[in-house]
Amino acid sequence: MGTVHARSLEPLPSSGPDFGGLGEEAEFVEVEPETKQEILENKDVVVQHVHFDGLGRTKDDIIICEIGDVFKAKNLIEVMRKSHEAREKLLRLGIFRQVDVLIDTCQGDDALPNGLDVTFEVTELRRLTGSYNTMVGNNEGSMVLGLKLPNLLGRAEKVTFQFSYGTKETSYGLSFFKPRPGNFERNFSVNLYKVTGQFPWSSLRETDRGMSAEYSFPIWKTSHTVKWEGVWRELGCLSRTASFAVRKESGHSLKSSLSHAMVIDSRNSSILPRRGALLKVNQELAGYTGGDVSFIKEDFELQLNKQLIFDSVFSASLWGGMLVPIGDKPSSIADRFYLGGPTSVRGFSMHSIGPQSEGDYLGGEAYWAGGLHLYTPLPFRPGQGGFGELFRTHFFLNAGNLCNLNYGEGPKAHIRKLAECIRWSYGAGIVLRLGNIARLELNYCIPMGVQTGDRICDGVQFGAGIRFL
Amino acid sequence: IYLVAESKSAEPWPENATLYQQLKGEQILLSDNAASLAVQAFLQMCNLPIKVVCRANAEYMSPSGKVPFIHVGNQVISELGPIVQFVKAKGHSLSDGLGEVQKAEMKAYMELVNNMLLTAELYLQWCDEATVGEITHARYGSPYPWPLNHILAYQKQWEVKRKMKAIGWGKKTLDQLNATYVTPVSTFRPTELDALVFGHLYTILTTQLTNDELSEKVKNYSNLLAFCRRIEQHYFEDRGKGRLS
Repeated sequence: MGTVHARSLEPLPSSGPDFGGLGEEAEFVEVEPETKQEILENKDVVVQHVHFDGLGRTKDDIIICEIGDVFKAKNLIEVMRKSHEAREKLLRLGIFRQVDVLIDTCQGDDALPNGLDVTFEVTELRRLTGSYNTMVGNNEGSMVLGLKLPNLLGRAEKVTFQFSYGTKETSYGLSFFKPRPGNFERNFSVNLYKVTGQFPWSSLRETDRGMSAEYSFPIWKTSHTVKWEGVWRELGCLSRTASFAVRKESGHSLKSSLSHAMVIDSRNSSILPRRGALLKVNQELAGYTGGDVSFIKEDFELQLNKQLIFDSVFSASLWGGMLVPIGDKPSSIADRFYLGGPTSVRGFSMHSIGPQSEGDYLGGEAYWAGGLHLYTPLPFRPGQGGFGELFRTHFFLNAGNLCNLNYGEGPKAHIRKLAECIRWSYGAGIVLRLGNIARLELNYCIPMGVQTGDRICDGVQFGAGIRFL
Repeated sequence: IYLVAESKSAEPWPENATLYQQLKGEQILLSDNAASLAVQAFLQMCNLPIKVVCRANAEYMSPSGKVPFIHVGNQVISELGPIVQFVKAKGHSLSDGLGEVQKAEMKAYMELVNNMLLTAELYLQWCDEATVGEITHARYGSPYPWPLNHILAYQKQWEVKRKMKAIGWGKKTLDQLNATYVTPVSTFRPTELDALVFGHLYTILTTQLTNDELSEKVKNYSNLLAFCRRIEQHYFEDRGKGRLS
């Protein structure tokens, strides 16, 4: 939380809240209306000036949009509240390292008796920040260099560059982001990237070189993103023993697609939420803006959370998706869906459910997956209030199915196929929350409904990631 | 480069053995066509049935990155040398009747053909600007959409030019190439060397290129022409199998 300084306007009743004088740090205190506070609340004030100290390259127009509301405040409490909101808005632009707010009475010739001056003292981020990490993965080491140029042209534009140089692969990404002045949720960004991935479950290696342009905008409570993406994909076999089905997919292809995504998120946190719901719907149309890959792809993600007694949370989630190739070319292994793994249907090996050939999993054109979870605090609550809060005990039931669809049989046949031979699993484990981004899980899983060809991981399974079923 | 498991060599040659190469009409280049024809001729000479399948991504499917490659049972083997070895392990060989000295000579000639003829073809395709601009570039990228067709063609050209420089072929002219040709003598019983030479010569003679120097030079050797005609008649037309385009 930041600090808000305010000077008292007139002698306060002794039981009123303490405001530190100028120069002293003061914690912002939520003011509850009390009868003795009426003096402050009912006193009409007018915000006459808003000053900014510390602006360098930032342009005026984006600042003015964010702090416009401050002028509308009618009494001191509102001024403090609106200033706090303005401070939050300025911080989310990502161009200031620190924002302090100072509220004072107006001085000078044109000062009204109830006039206030609000001063924002800001420290801009440096023009260039860099980071350097080394990463060690599966038999591979790499150096990762990151560069960030915040507030490049003064209107909260941001350029980020990341370069990863490894013993096996090299990848990089360059991205330019520009929000609309006054309306940060409307923004657009352009990205250029080269990413390599190795997928041992399919004996496949994929190199993607691409660019994308996307535009995000809010509509009421939902957030929409419209994106065009062009990717040059190079597929290859990861080893000499790759199956012929995967070998047939080797080579180059070009995907040019338009996609639209909608997100409604009312959860209180994205990792281990206690309440709220999430709905993500994504559709992608490839082939009509160039390239040689043509399909319609639809997928969705739904999550509901409800807090129960004894600090436990019940969570239900449902994922699904469908890929329909257009034309007579079959779908590519790089576009299909995969199922199974510690972040998907637990108890099965990574992406090891569904159609396969000689041990290489080929993915499927339609899938669904669902999970029911009960999160409780650790038994006997060790480390309560501190470190122990990061852990949760976790009981789960996961299920899902993945298959290819032989179109022409009609939708009833498709649904029937997805309802046959359902894979499911249940178990319990411990979840560790990492900041606000990721989580680690250690579960004991019992897989059921295993079909020939699936690879299971029964017993203890470890998972790390951002998105879990 | 090939994969052969000891136990597998005992299996007989399957009916569905397949050879993969690039698309015949619009994509395949002179050097790849020659290599593919050499393998086809060799297998015909050994009396082993093979089906030819054309795929635009054949070059990338191959485990060594070179065409042609054959898919026999569970195994994938690419390039003439390893294919000859693989076929030998299955009990078929064309050069069994030769003595040790002759076998060594044959190997030397095959190396020569690869170093001379194949390199000449690659040079003509990728380093002769007229040929590159009019034929190679368009053919190589033909199965791909814009801009991938240009990117892949330029990438391949750069790779071949780099290899040429590494073996000192950057500056040679066709005259110098032709001066170093050696005419192999065709034996009564054809060997893999004959298959290789036939593959290259036939392709050179029958492919329309911007620069006709190479095919004109080959036409000057009447015994080479007779040799090609004899192989074509005996192994491709007579048997009614495998048409040569």
